[in-house]
Amino acid sequence: MASQFSGVLQLTDLDDFITPSQACVKPVKVEKKEGKSVAKIQIEDDGSYVQVNQDGGKQKLGKAKITLNDCLACSGCITSAESVLISQQSNEELFKVLNNNKTGGAEQKVVVVSVSPQSRASLAARYDLSSTEAGRKLTCFFKGLGVHHVFDTSFSRTFSLLESQREFVERFQRKEQDSTCLPMMTSACPGWICYAEKTHGEFVLPYISTTRSPQQMMGSLVKGYFAEQQGLSPEQIYHVAVMPCFDKKLEASRSDFYLDKSQSREVDLVITSAEVQKILEEKNVALGDVEPAPLDAMFSHVSGDEFLSHAGSGSGGYLHHVFTYAAKELFGEEVKELTYKTLRNKDFQEVTIERDGVVLLCFASTYGFRNIQNLVQKLKRGKSPYHFVEVMACPSGCLNGGGQVKPLPGQDPKELLQKVEKLYKAERPLTPEEDARVSELYQSWLHSVGEERAKELLHTQYHTVQKNINGLTMKW
Amino acid sequence: MTDGLTLVQRLSAHPDSRCWFVSWSPSGTLLASCGGDKAIRIWGREGDSWICKSVLEDGHQRTVRKVAWSPCGNYLASASFDATTCIWKKKNDDFESLTVLEGHENEVKCVAWAPSGNLLATCSRDKSVWVWEVDEEEEYECVTVVNSHTQDVKHVIWHPTKEMLASASYDNNICIYREEDDDWECRATLKGHTSTVWGLCFDASGQRMASCSDDRTVKIWKEYPAESGQDDLSWKCVCTLSGYHGRTVYDVAWCRLTGALATACGDDTVRVFKEDATSHPDQPVFSLVAQVPRAHQQDVNCVAWNPKEAGLLAACSDDGDISIWRFQEEH
Repeated sequence: MASQFSGVLQLTDLDDFITPSQACVKPVKVEKKEGKSVAKIQIEDDGSYVQVNQDGGKQKLGKAKITLNDCLACSGCITSAESVLISQQSNEELFKVLNNNKTGGAEQKVVVVSVSPQSRASLAARYDLSSTEAGRKLTCFFKGLGVHHVFDTSFSRTFSLLESQREFVERFQRKEQDSTCLPMMTSACPGWICYAEKTHGEFVLPYISTTRSPQQMMGSLVKGYFAEQQGLSPEQIYHVAVMPCFDKKLEASRSDFYLDKSQSREVDLVITSAEVQKILEEKNVALGDVEPAPLDAMFSHVSGDEFLSHAGSGSGGYLHHVFTYAAKELFGEEVKELTYKTLRNKDFQEVTIERDGVVLLCFASTYGFRNIQNLVQKLKRGKSPYHFVEVMACPSGCLNGGGQVKPLPGQDPKELLQKVEKLYKAERPLTPEEDARVSELYQSWLHSVGEERAKELLHTQYHTVQKNINGLTMKW
Repeated sequence: MTDGLTLVQRLSAHPDSRCWFVSWSPSGTLLASCGGDKAIRIWGREGDSWICKSVLEDGHQRTVRKVAWSPCGNYLASASFDATTCIWKKKNDDFESLTVLEGHENEVKCVAWAPSGNLLATCSRDKSVWVWEVDEEEEYECVTVVNSHTQDVKHVIWHPTKEMLASASYDNNICIYREEDDDWECRATLKGHTSTVWGLCFDASGQRMASCSDDRTVKIWKEYPAESGQDDLSWKCVCTLSGYHGRTVYDVAWCRLTGALATACGDDTVRVFKEDATSHPDQPVFSLVAQVPRAHQQDVNCVAWNPKEAGLLAACSDDGDISIWRFQEEH
């Protein structure tokens, strides 16, 4: 079964063989009990394991569990079979919470779903709707299932864009003192982050922007601001993100996005566009037939009942925004339109701005493994001419993510991608600085919590993953 | 039947180690070998014998698995278990390390130069096949990474005339790749072997390809014009040589001068097959015309025909030796 993770993630040593001698970096915590008695382990008829003490008493033994995140940290034993389990679990998990709420079970949760614009465009393409129509109908559909709020990650992306812009200018101004400031590489793609942490570690991590991705910005907003506002503690909210790829599931499970105090994740669950489509199919709902509902404007990038977008690429527009902002801030240049130059292939593009024959800014976007490879190798050889690179693991970017709705039988995948791109770009863009509600949140919420806390909410960190090279696992 | 093959010379190439691969330079005057001792040796003729002209050490941290000459003969590429591919440049009689290609996750199993000289292919235990491009400044960049195999990729070769690539894998399949838009794609998957495919070789015209496998057979594949007007390639197995090899067949080499087919086998034997003159192109018949049991003391890993001197065959083995043979056809 082929792995559903991005090509970049797949190549980072995820192997199909769990060898018995592989030492797990995160050994399961065992509750050791005092006593010298030697116990036997017996397998009961129902398959459970019991420990039989010397005095004949039986104790049922708990199953040792290792989470997805632990396996990733170990970089050893996750197999492609696991990725099948991940996808099967996801929809089930959501319904567990929704059903528990319905039946009045203990631990009622406020369910929040944050939908990415790429997922909206993908579902819109499948059901022949506009992106806004799809968004409004999804809002109605999810609320019908028991979801309380449906937000839009374009809203949290505004934060990511603003922070990226500021971070770049700050790095640019520091470049003479610190050789690892530039090129600044984007951080929104978890496939790229996991690859960078595992394969290039110490070398490349300092170059990666610390700005949180839109998904995790929303995590901060929902479990921080929204929770407080609603008088809830973070674990009383079940936050689901709808994303165009599987790698986002790994991002949500990072320990950096785990709230220790409340023992809850900032994003509890990530389901893909295709998984949402599966839910629609299982419920026998044609999205086109659903009534459009009013949008939850609190955390949605909207104008009335229309969704708004951001200029630039279908992967967030980081290059576009940082370039435009930096040209103005650093050189007083007003950039009305960006001219992209395609290099080696269409997933490798360059944008520059010159003045009197001198290159002021040289930016690039590199999508897909082969281009990321060349970028990093050039960087290692000291031959990278760039100040900023928008890095995405998937060829053609997020609109072509591994979790997007698949083409119908007989449908050309290239044509489908073009359709999705068109629907995505049809939304009217708004510059991040013009978003009144975002600046209001900066003023009221982020300033009030202090600089350090604000940094925690808007930024993150990366960690080199040590490779476990065990001689016994060598395959010749 | 040993009259067909006569031993010219035996060289203790990689003492106390195994010799994994041998490759003749395009001019046929030099032979490169590589082995478990992490070194590459270049052999040349002095009078009637072959002697070691230079030793390329310190290029790799682990076993060097394969070496390949560029079509112009000025560069040598070496694929190693240390996950890198080293490009060496010929300087007079010696070689200098020009650059090291990184990127594979683990052991690189093969490297091959395209006939154009601009492209290089590598394959690895990480299941991927990479195509690299070299520019005028001798800078290598990755063109594409293809993941068509589900297991370790053992061997990769270029078509002699078209820009087409073939790879062999532990997953029992052979993949054929062509460039489409700005990327390379697997256009055909050749199934038939029932175990790991270890080696591949095109005939002189490139219309046919030989493959050898752990299933102890050698298969001959022929390219047919695309079916139903589609651009996709169609390769069919037109012949299977079975019952000849006692163990895994590790390598197969098709002589571009004589059409003779040599095999390297885990039963320590070197064999040569020839196509019957009367056989039909769609159903060729190959006969065993020469074999040397105990050609080596251990597994024979590689066989290579000299590209200029007809009948000159090199082989190498786990016993660390290179053997050079003359194949003469009986008429």
